[in-house]
Amino acid sequence: MLGILLLAALSGLLFNALMPQGIGWLPPEVSHPRWQGVSLSRARALWEQGALFVDARDPGLYQVARVKGAVNIYPAEMGLLLRLLQAKLKKAPALVVYGRSFSRFPAATVAQELKRRGFGQVLVMKAPFREWRLAGYPTTEPRRRGRAS
Amino acid sequence: MRGLADLVSLVARLFLAGLFIWASYDKIWDPRSFAWSVGQYELLPLWAVNAASVLLAWLEMWVGVLLLVGLFTRPAAAWATLLLLTFTGVMVYAGFTGAGFDCGCFPGQEGHAAGFDAALRDLFFLLPAVWLWIRPGEWLRLDRLFWARD
Repeated sequence: MLGILLLAALSGLLFNALMPQGIGWLPPEVSHPRWQGVSLSRARALWEQGALFVDARDPGLYQVARVKGAVNIYPAEMGLLLRLLQAKLKKAPALVVYGRSFSRFPAATVAQELKRRGFGQVLVMKAPFREWRLAGYPTTEPRRRGRAS
Repeated sequence: MRGLADLVSLVARLFLAGLFIWASYDKIWDPRSFAWSVGQYELLPLWAVNAASVLLAWLEMWVGVLLLVGLFTRPAAAWATLLLLTFTGVMVYAGFTGAGFDCGCFPGQEGHAAGFDAALRDLFFLLPAVWLWIRPGEWLRLDRLFWARD
């Protein structure tokens, strides 16, 4: 079994090194990050200072609960959403992107693209949204409010 | 009876071989898109996404090729079982998290949403894989040229 694994690893290594469509072993968000990570407490301080939060999760999760004032830009529709929200994003003193898990895949992807398009200070919250919520920091939860009323 | 079992093994092997080769060629040819698909599940740390997706795509291809020619059939079937178990677990996870995106399992973008339906499909694919692992069969296998038995 190990032989098959080594064969696969070697094939992948060669193909990605030789073919034009090959990708690096690290995603550009890691090998050449354009963003900086921030802790939960620093993110909260930035929120107080008027930073705009960008929710990189799926729209369904965004609808259920989000950081108060956050806009939703998720990777699958990133180009369109960036165009629609451009004015709002440009006005913000800083952009803090967050995601659902510690993977940071969607948040880093969105942050990388924001920075590539020339937006100023772009940061990624290291903690997932769940921790923001558990810390009791400001959130908007339309469905919960709907149920209560 | 033994002939029937060998026939079942051959059908299972060719079916799985076709499945894995079909599933992998697009992932190999367009590694960027597949890395994106893998990243969407948010199960891996960001730094591991590219390496894991490349390894996975090639693992699928080699499992498919080895099953097709009947070489190292039992280890290849073991990998097929392990991969399908992993995929099933990932699809169940995707179902619980409400992921609505394409599962990235097969070429094309329609009809392969990540979630419980995909988990059921993968469970079905597990049957021939487990069968082959237990009983690789005797027909049309290169293994037999090199080794008398597994």
